[in-house]
Amino acid sequence: MTTAMLELIREPLGEAFFVRALLAVALSSLTCACLGAYVVLRRMAFVSTALTHSILPGVIGALLLGVSPYLGALIAALLTAAGAAWLASRKGTSEDSAVGVMLSVMFAGGIALMQYANSWRDFAGLLFGSVVSVGTSDLIVIGATTLIVLLGLRLLHKELELASFDEEYASLLGARPALMRVVLLGLVALGAVSCVRLVGALLTTALFVIPAATGVLLGRTVAQVMGWGVACALGGGIAGLYLSYYLPAVPSGAGIVLCCAAPYLAARIFAPRR
Amino acid sequence: MSSLLQSISRAAFALLPTLPYATAEKAGCGGLAVKAHHLSACARVDGPIAFRGASFEIPCGCRTALIGPNGSGKSTLLRVLAGLTPVLAGEVEVAGEKPRLGRRRIAYLAQRPHLTEHFPLRLRRLVQMGTYAHHGWFEECFHGDKAVDLALSQMGLTDLAERPVHTLSGGQLQRGLIARAIVQGAELLLLDEPYAALDQASREIIDRFLFDQDRAFTVVMATHDPADLGRFDRILEMRGGTIHTSHACEGHDHRHA
Repeated sequence: MTTAMLELIREPLGEAFFVRALLAVALSSLTCACLGAYVVLRRMAFVSTALTHSILPGVIGALLLGVSPYLGALIAALLTAAGAAWLASRKGTSEDSAVGVMLSVMFAGGIALMQYANSWRDFAGLLFGSVVSVGTSDLIVIGATTLIVLLGLRLLHKELELASFDEEYASLLGARPALMRVVLLGLVALGAVSCVRLVGALLTTALFVIPAATGVLLGRTVAQVMGWGVACALGGGIAGLYLSYYLPAVPSGAGIVLCCAAPYLAARIFAPRR
Repeated sequence: MSSLLQSISRAAFALLPTLPYATAEKAGCGGLAVKAHHLSACARVDGPIAFRGASFEIPCGCRTALIGPNGSGKSTLLRVLAGLTPVLAGEVEVAGEKPRLGRRRIAYLAQRPHLTEHFPLRLRRLVQMGTYAHHGWFEECFHGDKAVDLALSQMGLTDLAERPVHTLSGGQLQRGLIARAIVQGAELLLLDEPYAALDQASREIIDRFLFDQDRAFTVVMATHDPADLGRFDRILEMRGGTIHTSHACEGHDHRHA
């Protein structure tokens, strides 16, 4: 019985693409769960959804133009963030609706481009993620992103925490809470771009929100929230990869998100009330 | 993996220069904590004028009460002094400088602080944030624990130090925020109705600290309580959009002036 289960776990590890995907999942979990803590605590889930969805036109546009899809995705995400900030800077448009406008416009643009470029095959992979497509160059991009994001969060930890908890005190000390918000948005854009291969444009936001939401239920400091989040994302990510390996009809993104939701549900039911 | 990241982050901290949050302040204030001349301000941009033509002085070390009905501009005046609200017209100097953000010598406590709800933070950490005033970007903040312990015990919060902030009562949180100002080492405390909705015990703890004559800081406190105005060295009354009276109250013995 146990040997049969061990065999089930070991078998995919023989495949090079699966090992690459496993590495990518581990790195992305680290990035997304740590960033997600701030996304959830600052109630930025909607903005992160907009950033991840706006990757779609960026990637397709880049493929049409023949440049790196990562570059296209990053430009599209930054464009969305800047556009939402600009729209919301006028009285009469709340930040919420500005983000809503940018989200739907960018996504509609992506769908239009997708129809235009219909010779390209891997639409489902772009939307929902595909394990098979993770190559060595993708791993390098994901690794570099993880390093940048974690280093940024570490170096600015006390300022990010202060600005997220008490914005007014942060500005009283001169610790620039508005700048910290921009930095966070930039890091979320980077993180989203790096996991689009794995989870897909539609579902990347789940990697930011679900593990961190689990962490918030269990952690009592920001570091603990991040720790629980990473544990949830790692467990869910690896389980999800196996799921989509043995059930090839399930895209990797869907598998990962479903498997991350399980620990969240468990925490929601069993976590002690605080 | 984590130890690798730790050493990378330590190296990055060591490589990066420590940048102060804001430019340093001038030392000394020439005996006056606040000096205002024909000062006007609005509570909000494009809003109605909260007060105009206010001229007054607050000597260093003076416990000052700011009284007046609701909407008379007390909160706006305190926010102007803290550098949070721009000056519309007139001149004002706070501790020898025009008001601006990023001043460690000034602490401001809002009437209703806008803290993010359910943020995972222990009380000790909240109080420790006061030490950030003496640090800058790219600097770790390990020390200052002694000052944090002292401030916690001064506010009677030692037993609650490890409690999550969102489980504290209003009075406990208020004392925590004052402890943060103590840790910051502010010389000018701008307090906007710190006693609102506080029970007697919390009030007495805060009082004992603020009116301790051995302490050299200046206090400017908006208050609605006429009963204990006698303890203040100076009373500023805001009415009808300006400051009407500015006098040392009876029994003032000039010990601070």
